[in-house]
Amino acid sequence: MDGRLAADLREMVSEQREYRELLVRLTLRDLLLRYKQTVMGAGWAMFMPLVNTAVFSIIFTRVAPIDTGLPYPVFAYCGLMAWNFFAASQRFAVVSLTSNTNLVTKVYCPREVFPFSAILVSLVDFAVASLVLVAMMAWYHIAAGRALLLLPLIVAVHVVFTAGVALLLAMGNLFYRDVKYLFEIVLAVWMFATSVVYPIDQIGGRLGAALMLNPMTPIIDAYRSVLLRNELPAAGPFAYAAAVAVALLGVGWVAFHRAEFQFAENI
Amino acid sequence: MRAAPVTFDAVWKKFRRGERHDSLRDLIPSLARRALGRVPTDALGGEEFWAVRDVSFTVCEGEALGIIGPNGAGKSTVLKLLTRILRPTRGRCEVRGRAGALIEVAAGFHPDLTGRENLFLQGALMGMKQAEIARKFDEIVEFAGIGEFIDTPVKRYSSGMNARLGFAIAAHLDPDVLIIDEVLSVGDARFQERCLDRMRALRARGIPLVFVSHNLLAVLELCTRALLIDRGQVRFDGTPAGAIQEYRRARPSQAVDDRAREVHIAGVEVLNGHGRAAEEIETGGSMTIRIHYAASRPIERPHFAVDVVRGDGVYCYGTNTRIDRLDLGVIDGDGHVDLVIPRVALLPGCYSLSIGIQDTHGACPYDIQHQAYPFSVTSDRRDLGIVWLEHTWRMQGSDLDCVPAARRNTRDLTPEVIR
Repeated sequence: MDGRLAADLREMVSEQREYRELLVRLTLRDLLLRYKQTVMGAGWAMFMPLVNTAVFSIIFTRVAPIDTGLPYPVFAYCGLMAWNFFAASQRFAVVSLTSNTNLVTKVYCPREVFPFSAILVSLVDFAVASLVLVAMMAWYHIAAGRALLLLPLIVAVHVVFTAGVALLLAMGNLFYRDVKYLFEIVLAVWMFATSVVYPIDQIGGRLGAALMLNPMTPIIDAYRSVLLRNELPAAGPFAYAAAVAVALLGVGWVAFHRAEFQFAENI
Repeated sequence: MRAAPVTFDAVWKKFRRGERHDSLRDLIPSLARRALGRVPTDALGGEEFWAVRDVSFTVCEGEALGIIGPNGAGKSTVLKLLTRILRPTRGRCEVRGRAGALIEVAAGFHPDLTGRENLFLQGALMGMKQAEIARKFDEIVEFAGIGEFIDTPVKRYSSGMNARLGFAIAAHLDPDVLIIDEVLSVGDARFQERCLDRMRALRARGIPLVFVSHNLLAVLELCTRALLIDRGQVRFDGTPAGAIQEYRRARPSQAVDDRAREVHIAGVEVLNGHGRAAEEIETGGSMTIRIHYAASRPIERPHFAVDVVRGDGVYCYGTNTRIDRLDLGVIDGDGHVDLVIPRVALLPGCYSLSIGIQDTHGACPYDIQHQAYPFSVTSDRRDLGIVWLEHTWRMQGSDLDCVPAARRNTRDLTPEVIR
């Protein structure tokens, strides 16, 4: 059994190496298409979190003011931008196999490239959106400090977690198209169960404790710590999120890889 | 001994008929079944069938294997198994090295991207390195004949341009094994000829070919061996001509409902000058086309028709007993009719025969078999065109005549100078 797992892992990695140029090409394809088909192009990557930031800023500074220890718009934008990377990756990944039916049924390639390229495209958007955060930080005179050095680690955990979920969703949606609709609902609830637009630890009680199991919260909190507060992320929760992310990617990828050969006949 | 580049060892592949469970509603019962341990892998469930049953073959270096068979026989499934898109239910299927698949050569194209962008994407899909594509870029564009349109979005291409670009990419793959599915149907005659040239060149380099086609003549011309597949099983494994004949024998009549029951074509033989069944005829040699019929009731004054069509679809010659004003009387039971051609004036190439039996007015066919019986014509002669016209060269002011002479065989066809 262990032998099979090891063989699978070797095959998974060597396939990705062999087809890494395809992954890059597919990502370029989707980025190029967006620039050709839309006028705003990369602007959309900033527009969505900006509008949301404006809306939530009105709610949480005028209607029901909350204390976040930071200027609220920066707090919200940082959370929304990070959440948006996760949510956009999933929205894109969940249909990544079914919208490439032609390729899945007619050409051989490791099918992981489709959800992976969905994540890479969203990662580019994430980078574009972060430019607005830099501008906002300058506006509110928030200076990043040495803690910024941890940013790559946080992004890595974020991407790993996103990839684990994306593989499972893409595969699930191939076999059962309900997954796409179901996940839309999950995503809406999930956002408010994460410290995206308010600090989740203010909920408290047993519900608050349950919500701490959500690995997205430590990830988003970690972004705020290193970017806005010049602090190290809370070690315990972040390590927990990292462990969940790695485990999920492991399980998700092996499951995906083992089901892969059924994709062409079941799509 | 080294294993063959392509091995198909007792492969079975099962498919499900109709809809599979596509929503969560059906997931629960299926999970329950699985939990109870009833996972039949070998046995067939109610809605399942074998698309490929116990198919075995190998393809060695320098070999070109044609796969023919009626629609739904399992040909494409075999190809998808070879290209690893599907995995066999049972058995073993291996392709050594890089398999270049000329299947759906334009599958990765996106209409909004330019030819150039699609070329790099499709190349990557086929497993080419970007540097390799960049190096061969000009050659590919040249081969496809796309020229200045390479920076135009593919949605503005004609379907022919689309397919040509796709094929050109695939043709520059440098594969270890080439797998081809019916790509010869794209492009004009000149492009098709270039594609065939490319395949011949690869075959000459010892690269094994697997070629699935309904174009029986292309199979005859390109392949060294052929499989006939029907309902998922191998019916014949041998020479291309043998496979094609077996194919025709197994499915004799594409015609014509009830009337074919009155009299039908039971078989056609191509005989050479010595009266032996032959796949090759020489230009200038004689041939006999023997049409076997089987009549279930007496048929009065039927007419027999023979058409000769060249591999690229050029209609070369047609005749029938009605044009020749023959009265065959009454035929009944089994028998045959011979069309004797003392001198075959066709130039070298692949040809096929269409055979028909018509009623006495020539209006209503009893049985027709279109382009069913292949044969090839060979010759040392290098004349161009379709037919060999008997001719003489004569020069003004000279008594020198140059006559490409003779009637009996090709040896005599070489021109001789008569003083």
